[in-house]
Amino acid sequence: MSATDPLPYAIAPHRFAVGFTRQTWWNWRIGAAFFFGEIGAGLFLVSLVTGQALGMAVGYLIVVVGKNTAHLLYLGRPARFWRAALRPDRSWIARGIWATGLFAISGFTLLLPKFAGIELPIAGWGQPLAPAVAAASALFIMFYDGLVMKASPAIPFWNSALLPVLCLTYATLGGATLSLMLTTLQGGMPPPALERLEHWLLVANAWLLAIYILRMSRLEPAARQTVHLLLRGRYRRAFLGLVLLVGMVATLLLSLAQGHVEATALAVVVAACELVGDFTLLMVLLKSGLYSPQTAPRSH
Amino acid sequence: MARLGMVIDLRRCIGCNACTIACKQEHGTPEDVHFARVVTREVGTYPATRRTFLPVLCNHCADAPCVEVCPSGASYIRADGIVLVDREKCIGCRACAVACPYMNRHFLERGLLRHGYNGDGLSVLEAVKFAEFEEGTMIKCNLCAHRVDQGLEPACVVTCPTECRFFGDLEPEAGRLQSLIRDHGGKPLLPECNTRPSIYYLDGEPRQA
Repeated sequence: MSATDPLPYAIAPHRFAVGFTRQTWWNWRIGAAFFFGEIGAGLFLVSLVTGQALGMAVGYLIVVVGKNTAHLLYLGRPARFWRAALRPDRSWIARGIWATGLFAISGFTLLLPKFAGIELPIAGWGQPLAPAVAAASALFIMFYDGLVMKASPAIPFWNSALLPVLCLTYATLGGATLSLMLTTLQGGMPPPALERLEHWLLVANAWLLAIYILRMSRLEPAARQTVHLLLRGRYRRAFLGLVLLVGMVATLLLSLAQGHVEATALAVVVAACELVGDFTLLMVLLKSGLYSPQTAPRSH
Repeated sequence: MARLGMVIDLRRCIGCNACTIACKQEHGTPEDVHFARVVTREVGTYPATRRTFLPVLCNHCADAPCVEVCPSGASYIRADGIVLVDREKCIGCRACAVACPYMNRHFLERGLLRHGYNGDGLSVLEAVKFAEFEEGTMIKCNLCAHRVDQGLEPACVVTCPTECRFFGDLEPEAGRLQSLIRDHGGKPLLPECNTRPSIYYLDGEPRQA
């Protein structure tokens, strides 16, 4: 099977016809939850490493308030949300709930002394443990969305080990960009190392995305059909325009200019471009997910 | 241990959708929810065209991805192999629906159970049947577990006018279903998904000894 082979089916118009079927279960609310989780945890982790207290607080709130609210708004039975934590032995969603819980507790113990001046009575071994747990849980939140999606064998386009890696690099990029914006808004000088990290992550993301698309264009028909939707079909404007042009090219060019021009507004525009690309990528990944057609098996 | 399953002979199916209707009647599912349905495909080019029919239902997989991804344990496999949803435990995350390659899970949106097919309140049948469902949760084919527990066959099996469905235990090697699968080269849907479905399809001619 090669990328140039014609696709044997079209998108099925209804559930009684054979064809590719679009995934419609996970919608913009799940996209928002994934997005808030990635950029919030990314911002928290980058800020923890660079010692930026405001970034840690903003990242913490994005995850604890933004991500969790989006998840609760999505659930059919939000009052039973606690049940989602019951099967960490098999479900990536359950593992994500545990990581988010650990993040909420450990992040709180880190932020409380910084902003309220209250030192929590943590035992001696607890002092270095809190930042370690917060960093580890933030790291997990940054990439576990990719594992949740990868765990669905039904949608071939998501079934790649590259997806969690892509989520991780995008989350780190979102965190770095937001951290740079917050530093600029506070009137400080952005760390050159963080600026370089942002540039390299943009290049790495473009490279990873290209490999991902190329790999999928050579797999089974459902994955190839998704590639077609992204590059030539229904989502080409969102993917090519917002993900690639705005989220990557414009972000890279503007962030390179940022090194020469001191403008707060420019930092906001760079962050906005990156976040638009990040959110759009998650949404097109969710919306372009296709199920393989069910066809009568030949016995011999 | 039994593993209940079904063999569907596609050479006999005429696409009448009697199974679809029997299932609707048995379970009283709301609008646009079909546990059993017949997927139709037109093949060939004019004038040599024909339609093929593929009756589908939950495959009650032995390695069910819907059970694997369920974070609350609401989806589970009964001792006889039937995959069920415990509505009291379901949180409505729809991860099972995303994971099912056969698209045989259904979500009960809010408000769906308040109006019937005719849009002017619930009929007597709907009032009785809808009481078994809960909005905001997933529902699916249960292989008519309530009938099976009474020693009956699923509604789609007993109603099929061409008798293309064979229901029983897949486990005994010498059993009727295994004989059908073995002798006629029965195959499941999407075997590449490695879900070990309990629904097999017969399409070819019987194997020659």
